[in-house]
Amino acid sequence: MTSLEIRKIDKFYGVHQALFDVSLSIGKGEFVTLLGPSGSGKTTLLKILAGFETVSGGEITLDGRNITELKPEARNFGLVFQGYALFPHMTVRENIAYPLKVRRMPRDAVATRVREMLDLVQLARFIDRKPSELSGGQQQRVALARALAFRPDVLLLDEPMSALDKKLRVDLQEELRQIHQTLGTTFINVTHDQEEAMHMSDRIAVMNHGRIEQFDTAFALYRHPGARFVAEFIGKSNIFPGELTREDGGSAIFRAEGMEMRLDAGSRTPGAADLMVRPEDVLLGTAPAAGRVNLPAEVLGSTYSGDRALYALKLASGRALSAYGAARSGVHPEGAQVFASFSPEDATLIG
Amino acid sequence: MSKVVYWVSLSFAFFFLAAPLLIVLPLAFNDSSFLTYPMEGFTFRWFGVFFDTPPWLSSLANSFKVALGTTLAALLIGGLAAMGVMLLGRWGRIVMSALFVSPLVIPSVVLGVAMAYAFGRAGWGGGYLSLVFAHTILAAPLVFLAVTTSLMGLDPELDRAAASMGASRWRRFHTVTLPLAMPGFATGALFAFITSFDEVVVALFLSTPQTQTLPITLFSSLRDRLEPTIVVVALLLSIVSCLFILALNRLQRRGAGR
Repeated sequence: MTSLEIRKIDKFYGVHQALFDVSLSIGKGEFVTLLGPSGSGKTTLLKILAGFETVSGGEITLDGRNITELKPEARNFGLVFQGYALFPHMTVRENIAYPLKVRRMPRDAVATRVREMLDLVQLARFIDRKPSELSGGQQQRVALARALAFRPDVLLLDEPMSALDKKLRVDLQEELRQIHQTLGTTFINVTHDQEEAMHMSDRIAVMNHGRIEQFDTAFALYRHPGARFVAEFIGKSNIFPGELTREDGGSAIFRAEGMEMRLDAGSRTPGAADLMVRPEDVLLGTAPAAGRVNLPAEVLGSTYSGDRALYALKLASGRALSAYGAARSGVHPEGAQVFASFSPEDATLIG
Repeated sequence: MSKVVYWVSLSFAFFFLAAPLLIVLPLAFNDSSFLTYPMEGFTFRWFGVFFDTPPWLSSLANSFKVALGTTLAALLIGGLAAMGVMLLGRWGRIVMSALFVSPLVIPSVVLGVAMAYAFGRAGWGGGYLSLVFAHTILAAPLVFLAVTTSLMGLDPELDRAAASMGASRWRRFHTVTLPLAMPGFATGALFAFITSFDEVVVALFLSTPQTQTLPITLFSSLRDRLEPTIVVVALLLSIVSCLFILALNRLQRRGAGR
């Protein structure tokens, strides 16, 4: 039961193409994040969804209704801005009541709804303040209450946390997640912060250069990235370029500089391939570990963070490798010769 | 160094701007019909003369009528122009702004001659309407500039936010844009009023004895009979100006407070 369907959207600014054939199916009540670096087209896509930008090609449907050409004011989409965009000449109450008055809701229903929304964001005692008398986090919560007050079909969030400091950001993420569960509204969030995306979203669309690289759950994106960009953008990763070959029996062998292993390659065709290993899947030891792929390495340095240490290593081939190591009994010193090992099951083929 | 500059500019401001005014203003209370020091005694007599002798009060009333008319017309024209220009693209904005501001750079003598001629031809020279019209041309650019400045300071996301909540273009304009641009309109209105209220050159060309404004009466009585009433007028005008400056100051502080 798809609610919002984005089909083959292209967007040109003059000769520059900002979006290439973007398609997404977003279910009703889903929390989706558009994640990507700046210039990836995520904000352009959000503006198109909000109706502030036109499309050069493609269409958007909401519950089967074509809304591609609809003006922003006719879409019934809530919008939360990076800079809050609260009306400075109105109180918190008037700000939240604004979309309700636009909809000619009766006066007492407006009052009830405003209360309800303020309770939802836990700001009931600030009802008669002006936005300038609130902190950034409070203003953003008022903006959220205002954008949800009219029960929009979809809530669009344009980097809502980027103006807030780290601690507030984490609190607001938690709150957003809860509000999403309470209301069941479809949320579409835009961010360049992969942690924020992973914490909150049901599914994440990773965008790069105007294209959607992959649209999947945080788990799938992290463990089975479909593209090298996704592997590198989400979390830390070690990528080994190499070649995949098939034996007569059908089992696959991956060869790269200094390593060779059998692995489950599914139905992948032989040829050039990249192998990704996450740093937490690499074990460091002073002797080769049995049943694992062992790579002799030299410790270049480490970052100790109490629970664990992140090592920067240099392999015999000259490649860099990063690995998390338990740091309970001290860290490996700089210049130490170690064996970095990983299990083929933990490695993922990309591309 | 900066201290020297500060004191030099301060003393210049005092001796050339403030001192002449301060020297002349006490003469409004001088108990003599000549504008001379030392003062011969303290009196409010000349205020009485101002309020009783014919041309003064009626020309004050004329000034107010013309200035109010000008303020309204300039607000309408300058304000509409500013809002229209904001909707244009970059180049359109530059060209149209230059056009709307251009009356400021035309010498008022030229305007005065042109208008006296044109209105005379049209057959409504000398009336209030012609004065209001001429002053509006001078004042509208000031309103235009003040309103443009406050509109430019508005966050464009506010309009988008209102749109996303379902507000139509007109509703967004009168519930969000207009209230937030209000300080610009108020500043423009004050400027327009002052501009008209103490405008001499164009009024000299256009006013008749019936529509004579206060600055013109002041100017002609300066030539005819030099008596302390002139200083009374000067004092009253200064007070009006001071009140306006105070009002402007308040407006700016309110604008900055947001």
